[in-house]
Amino acid sequence: MIKLENVNKTFGDHPALADINTEFKEHQTTVIVGPSGSGKSTLLRSLNLLEHPESGQYHFDDETIDFSKPITSKTVLELRRKTGMVFQDYNLFPHLTVVKNVMEGPIQVLKQSSADAKKTALDLLDKVGLADKAESFPSQLSGGQQQRVAIARSLAMNPEYILLDEPTSALDPELEAGVLRVLLELAQEKDSMIIVTHNLEFARAVADKILFVENGKILFDGTPAEFFKQPTQRIADFLAAMTFTTISDKAES
Amino acid sequence: MNSIWHIIVTSTPQIVAAGLKYTIPIAIISFILGLIFAILTALIKLSPRHGWFSILKAIAYFYVWLFRSTPLLVQLFIVYFGLPYLKISGIFPNGIQLDPWTAGIATFSLNTGAYCAETIRASILSIPQGQWEAAYSIGMTKTQVLRRIILPQAARVSLPPLSNSFISLVKDTSLAASITIIEMFEVSQQIAAQNYQPLVMYALVAALYAVLCSILSWLQGYLEKRTSRYIKPIN
Ligand SMILES: Nc1ncnc2c1ncn2[C@@H]1O[C@H](COP(=O)(O)OP(=O)(O)OP(=O)(O)O)[C@@H](O)[C@H]1O
Ligand SMILES: [Mg+2]
Repeated sequence: MIKLENVNKTFGDHPALADINTEFKEHQTTVIVGPSGSGKSTLLRSLNLLEHPESGQYHFDDETIDFSKPITSKTVLELRRKTGMVFQDYNLFPHLTVVKNVMEGPIQVLKQSSADAKKTALDLLDKVGLADKAESFPSQLSGGQQQRVAIARSLAMNPEYILLDEPTSALDPELEAGVLRVLLELAQEKDSMIIVTHNLEFARAVADKILFVENGKILFDGTPAEFFKQPTQRIADFLAAMTFTTISDKAES
Repeated sequence: MNSIWHIIVTSTPQIVAAGLKYTIPIAIISFILGLIFAILTALIKLSPRHGWFSILKAIAYFYVWLFRSTPLLVQLFIVYFGLPYLKISGIFPNGIQLDPWTAGIATFSLNTGAYCAETIRASILSIPQGQWEAAYSIGMTKTQVLRRIILPQAARVSLPPLSNSFISLVKDTSLAASITIIEMFEVSQQIAAQNYQPLVMYALVAALYAVLCSILSWLQGYLEKRTSRYIKPIN
């Protein structure tokens, strides 16, 4: 289980995370929502130490990291092996073929043999529906296909948690659907996932728990049922604004 | 006309022999050493400024500044003719005496290394931050990220400017004539002194340098194609 206690992170004098306290349970999907600039990415990136908050406690299973102290590179590497990250703009390695992208971590970090890594990689590519693209380069794939490769790449490390930062925000709706289908499947298999998304419909379908973040604070931490029943005025406004965005998007197209 | 043809036919093999014996080996060895200096310097310049790294950083900045701010010919003269007078009792009581070959390679490699360091530093910086983050996310160490993800991509970016540096270096080895190395240009000078045909001789050696550099340009094109297979073609 992941647990954060009193976590703070500032950029300059701007508080990006202000006294964050929450838990991410195993085998659950947590969805983080909130307006732009509210600190969602900072929160997610703190979980695999791409960001280093100034203070607070980070518990991962029995391990505890005190953010106010320097973190050894050994701790950083161990923690990153237990978490996988999927980025908004995929960040595939362009100089490696699709299958080699997926094999890179298992071979270099887990020291698997090339044959074992390849077998796992091909299975995972099959799972995300891209077995036939194994030998292509990322530049030859659509955005949605690239994102599915990125998901396979993070699954190949067999992480305890998969962190996804707006995995479908750069995609057209048709391509988005393919990626969401893969994520829904992972959620049904009870993988532990933490997803930042603006897609509320998807959040409602997949979330076991929702965090609503604004100005670096968690304003809601509970079930999707409670969240969509509009517990506070602020969340009602947020939901209304998001719905309006969806309507105006449709009007434009 | 006949005699000019005769001069060309008899001199070309001598100049080419000097090229194979001196010009090309000096250029290749100096460039390989230069690339090693360049990669180290680039990595030091890019490293965070703390601890003993700040001393290394200061040295790296000084090195690049020194070799880019002074003429190559002057550098060669200092190393070959000047260092023998650097007498430090205890360490070098008789000054630093280098044979022409060593002095030449030391100077050429340090000089080209200073230029290539900037090329390599810029190519590393041109690789998007997301590549570092993605590689860190799958648990790689900084060394692994550099070796497996960043440097291979940076190598492709730096290939054209590095080829430029190599081609410049090949031509600059003609300066080695001034420190008694009998490379292509020196051979052509010696023949010109005998046959009183400086125009023919220097035009001939220029043409041979041009042939050599054209081969290198062709090689660059080939390597660029090989290393760019993963890039989407721009139509
Ligand atoms: N590296 C940085 N340097 C300075 N400020 C930063 C940095 N990263 C984030 N911030 C600031 O911290 C705040 C939170 O940023 P964050 O990226 O976490 O927001 P977000 O909720 O993910 O937004 P979005 O929905 O637009 O992705 C923002 O005000 C942002 O400008
Ligand atoms: Mg974000």
